[in-house]
Amino acid sequence: MTNNANVAAGQQKLRSKRGHERRINGTIYTVLVIMSIVWLVPFVFLVLQSFRSYKLEKGGMVDYLIPKTFSLDNYAFLFEGSNFFSWLGQALIVAVAVAAVTAVLIHVCGRLLDKGEGEGRGTRVALLGGSLLIGFVALVGLTMALQGFALAGSWVKALISLALFVLAGWIMARVYLKQDSKLLRSIPGYVVEDKHEGLKKFCAMFAEFGALALIAQCILAPMTMSQYVRWYGNTLTIALFTSVIQTVIVLSVSYALSRLRFKGRKLIMNVVLILGLFPGFLTMITLYFLLKQMGLTQAGAVPGLILIYCASSGMGYYISKGFFDTIPKSLDESARIDGATRFQVFLKIIMPLAKPIVIYTILMAFMAPWGDYVFASYVAFGHQDGYNVAVGLYNWVNTNDFQNYFTRFCAGGVLVAVPITALFLALQKYYVEGVTGGAVKG
Amino acid sequence: MASLKLEHVKKVYDKNVVAVHDFNLEIKDKEFIVFVGPSGCGKSTTLRMIAGLEDISGGTLTIGDRVVNDVEPKDRDIAMVFQNYALYPHITVYENMAFSLRLRKMNNEEVHRRVCQAAEILGITEYLARKPKNLSGGQRQRVAIGRAIVREPQVFLMDEPLSNLDAKLRNQMRAEIILLRKRIDTTFIYVTHDQTEAMTLGDRIVIMKDGYIQQVGTPQEVFETPRNLFVAGFIGSPQMNFLKARLVKNGGEYFAELYGVRIAMGAEKSAKLAAKGVGGQDVILGVRPEHTQLVFDGRDGTIEGTLRVNEMMGSELHLHVDLADGTSVILRIPTLDLTEEQRRGLIYGSKLRFAFPEKVTHLFDPKSEESLLF
Amino acid sequence: MVDLDYLKMSKPQKMLHDLGRFFTGLPGRVGRGFMKLGLNIGRCFKGLWLSVVDLITTFRDGDWKTRLSYLVMGSGSMARGQWGRGLLFFLFQTVFNLYMVNFGMAYLAKLNTLGTVATEKVGRKTVYGDNSFLILLYGVLTLFFVLAFIYTWRMNIKQNKISQQILASGRKLKRTKDDLQSLMDSQFHKTLLALPTLGVFVFTILPIFFMILVAFTNFDYNHQPPAKLFTWVGFENFKTLLSSGSASYGDTFKQVLFWTLVWAFFATFLNYFLGMFVAIMINKKGIKLKKVWRTILVMTIAIPQFVSLLYVSKMFAADGLINTYLMKWHWISQPIPFWTNPGWARFTIILINIWIGIPYLMLIATGILMNIPADLYESARIDGANAVQMYGKITLPYMLFVTGPYLLTSFTGNINNFNVIFLLSQGKPMGLAGNAGHTDLLITWLYRMTVSDTNYKIAAVIGIMVFVVLAVINLVVYNLIPSVKNEEDFQ
Repeated sequence: MTNNANVAAGQQKLRSKRGHERRINGTIYTVLVIMSIVWLVPFVFLVLQSFRSYKLEKGGMVDYLIPKTFSLDNYAFLFEGSNFFSWLGQALIVAVAVAAVTAVLIHVCGRLLDKGEGEGRGTRVALLGGSLLIGFVALVGLTMALQGFALAGSWVKALISLALFVLAGWIMARVYLKQDSKLLRSIPGYVVEDKHEGLKKFCAMFAEFGALALIAQCILAPMTMSQYVRWYGNTLTIALFTSVIQTVIVLSVSYALSRLRFKGRKLIMNVVLILGLFPGFLTMITLYFLLKQMGLTQAGAVPGLILIYCASSGMGYYISKGFFDTIPKSLDESARIDGATRFQVFLKIIMPLAKPIVIYTILMAFMAPWGDYVFASYVAFGHQDGYNVAVGLYNWVNTNDFQNYFTRFCAGGVLVAVPITALFLALQKYYVEGVTGGAVKG
Repeated sequence: MASLKLEHVKKVYDKNVVAVHDFNLEIKDKEFIVFVGPSGCGKSTTLRMIAGLEDISGGTLTIGDRVVNDVEPKDRDIAMVFQNYALYPHITVYENMAFSLRLRKMNNEEVHRRVCQAAEILGITEYLARKPKNLSGGQRQRVAIGRAIVREPQVFLMDEPLSNLDAKLRNQMRAEIILLRKRIDTTFIYVTHDQTEAMTLGDRIVIMKDGYIQQVGTPQEVFETPRNLFVAGFIGSPQMNFLKARLVKNGGEYFAELYGVRIAMGAEKSAKLAAKGVGGQDVILGVRPEHTQLVFDGRDGTIEGTLRVNEMMGSELHLHVDLADGTSVILRIPTLDLTEEQRRGLIYGSKLRFAFPEKVTHLFDPKSEESLLF
Repeated sequence: MVDLDYLKMSKPQKMLHDLGRFFTGLPGRVGRGFMKLGLNIGRCFKGLWLSVVDLITTFRDGDWKTRLSYLVMGSGSMARGQWGRGLLFFLFQTVFNLYMVNFGMAYLAKLNTLGTVATEKVGRKTVYGDNSFLILLYGVLTLFFVLAFIYTWRMNIKQNKISQQILASGRKLKRTKDDLQSLMDSQFHKTLLALPTLGVFVFTILPIFFMILVAFTNFDYNHQPPAKLFTWVGFENFKTLLSSGSASYGDTFKQVLFWTLVWAFFATFLNYFLGMFVAIMINKKGIKLKKVWRTILVMTIAIPQFVSLLYVSKMFAADGLINTYLMKWHWISQPIPFWTNPGWARFTIILINIWIGIPYLMLIATGILMNIPADLYESARIDGANAVQMYGKITLPYMLFVTGPYLLTSFTGNINNFNVIFLLSQGKPMGLAGNAGHTDLLITWLYRMTVSDTNYKIAAVIGIMVFVVLAVINLVVYNLIPSVKNEEDFQ
């Protein structure tokens, strides 16, 4: 009897506990849903308003949300006077064609290699080299045909593009040869660990050739630009260069401070700490003057800004140093005993292990220039062709003609935000690793 | 294959912390030397100086006939196995082992031959295509060793290579290192804090403490004639028992008096003591636990104690016994030496008597802690 | 006091005791700090003296190659066959000499007055006089160059001494090839750091020095080179900024500094606790779609601030969506003065910053929460703790301990958080002396001083004040952190 009562009481208790738990979870869900709405609403509004035509429904933030008619007028305005789409289409066709042909080619070369199994290394290399060469000639011809006659006048341009493709092909050939080393295959129990390795390599190749085709396109047939496209192009250029240069600098500094021991190491760290306490804008006029002396203001704002973003970037070494600190020192020591110089240790041991922090650094360096208004506007100094998107759009919102430009600002903002957000979300994992690591280590 | 010479080698950190004082040692070609000592004794530092990973603050280090004080580690022709293995995580076992050879621009066929041969010796051929993270501790250990032997180095350095393994694997690897040493006949320097490893592996053992060499000798030498209290306590397990005693000289003969018992030191020891000119003085008398015997027949010359702990180790008993003045000693008694009845009597608090032959005793000066028989 | 006595105390007693110990320890700590400083200065002088002595003895003991190097840098190295090093030294000296003779000396000489010859108009032609800006900038550069030269010269002598010793001991000197190889090995740090250091020097150190000096001049809109000269005025600008009076900015400075600190406090701690709270909610066992919630919140980090903040700032404007909708629904009859009333403006900024800031903290807190060993919670539950107690006794102390340094950097970052203020309110509403607004931080005020008011001298002083404020905060916190560490060690 008492036993039964106990069981019943226990069940009662359990049930009430479960109910309690459910209530708590319900509250949490409510809070999270409300937060999500608050977090997303401004962006939804932004997108909605970007579809309100600046011609038909003039006005700043009017007192209604959903445009009376959805129109692409704002977006059309951004590209007005630019042949952006045909330009991009051309480049993409070239890229796809070139990548596809190269993929086939390398595959064929691989087969040839396998056939020539009994023969010497020289023959194999000759086979490979010969076929690649033939391929390149064909490719350049293809590019030229697709480009129309833009090439005809300029042999320099043609040579540059040729060189780019030869470089790419060479890299690909090396990758292929390495992967397919016969010695490696002859090891008993050798298995390819990653099933999708081949696919991944092809994807990488497509991306590589796409980028190359775009560069070639920029050199061979520059597009005509609208204001917005120019700003966008400026920002993209700055972001690309900055992300590469800054990453090299940051990694160099953090590697040196983390893993090498030399006189003055502590001093450098202390000096950087003290310099970091000065507000960044304090030095603005001096920087402007220095850039002006080099001719890198106004029309030269793009290289000028790259210089400014990169020059002092060595001071932001904390997070990647923290990462390097976690790699065991004995790896370096072991490699040094194995016969590596410190440079080889850096290149062959530490860099491959530092992939997360390399991606984090690139991501940060790439994203920062998109949001910079202060230096960008100061360096461009009213010269519209030197603006980045932030300055251009800021000026649209803060003109006297704000009413007229607001929806166009929305459209411009959407076009900036979409790719950046996509990139960020794709690499979110590395970002989280970086910030948490950085926060924990200070 | 080369001999090594360390002359007055010294390591000073940050101008005041001395890690190694005046280290002098000559290592013969193809010798297996073990540095042993408690942590912080400077053994690893010495090894790292030999490897070139630490600067040498003073003295000279010679490998073969070349002074290598200022030579980069990569040019010293040495190989090293690290405590945490230090395998390169991003490349396969094969490439890990080939890494040093590729850096030396050796041709592919030769690299392949050497890697496969080393893998064969160590029995890791089937793991060659794996990444280190997919290996067990013992396998990683083998790869680390393999990476060192493909080099065919002049000197083979090992820094506590077995301390990250569990006890069973450690014993197994220890045996394998002995075998390995037979196969690749080169100079080995091995650092450990474990005296068992030192005793079983080394041709000679270098015992260190606080940056000073305490004693250098073959395993047998350091076990039988420890030079000082530290070495006596460090080598052997369980640790040697130290008893306060009074040394008395009577004519040409010496006696030790302790706990009311008088033990003759015998002719050989007396001669040594006399040669050193030792008179009557306080001494510390050392007896290894395995050299003690339980005495049940109440004969003379035995010491009485109270049993505190009785550890049954299977083939033997470890008896922790408190003496009259509170000194604790350990007796190591083979189980088979006792009758069932005698064994049953060994319970907490029971009184027992033990003795030891004079031949196995050690005498130390309580002040200098040096052996009086050396 | 014995540790056991301390352990016996109740919590308030402990806090009282800690506080007391902090303050009683303060003089000692400050004293030690000064002593250390004194010792370091002493060591500096000793080092200098030893260098001089070393220079003399090296000259005395040196052979002709060494002695020649005192005059012609690098000659000793070249004479000993170290061509690479020698040439570099020699080149440096040549460049330095040419620079000083053709350029540097002239600027250095005028540094004390910053120029005396004013620009004049003679008839229609403008005759340019001295340019104070260039004199100051190049003067500073030249000073650095001279220091670098002295250092290099000293290094050159030292090299000779070492080379001589090496040769005397019968060893060989490093050849140029060895030198080059060592740049990839034992001297690899030089290769890695050369470019970054140069960049930081030219684009950070030199400008900061320049601006610190500008704070002691009258460089402003009335004294713009090349048309006008500016000159040294001592501590005049500091007086203008810090003292109160009709012509000074003292009151404004106090207000702006106060708001800066209030802002930084809220921006740091409000976000910190709210972000942690959100992270705990999302990571609670049984909550589904964790990844979705996280991704939604992270959107504000991903989207460039100039898009999101500019848009939100317009949303809160008098004719923005919020006001128009509230009026449409007849909840209010007048627009809420989000940006025009000082109090509202400050409140709105802090509010919107939560929107921007929580996601960061949510991510960081998530990472750390996962790292808290589960057995801590298990043992706490066995000891009978409930959810709130576990939070107070485990989660919070752990978080605070681990993120202590982060809080400091975050506070520092918020004091200099330009973007949020500038994109939201531009410092408005205006109305303080010195052209400052009620939501201006020191940094945005500095920006306006530089860009629109071209009042560089005051901008420089504000910059220095920001540095002082940050330095004080950092020093105090660094001094407090060890005591925190001792009690809450989770390692």
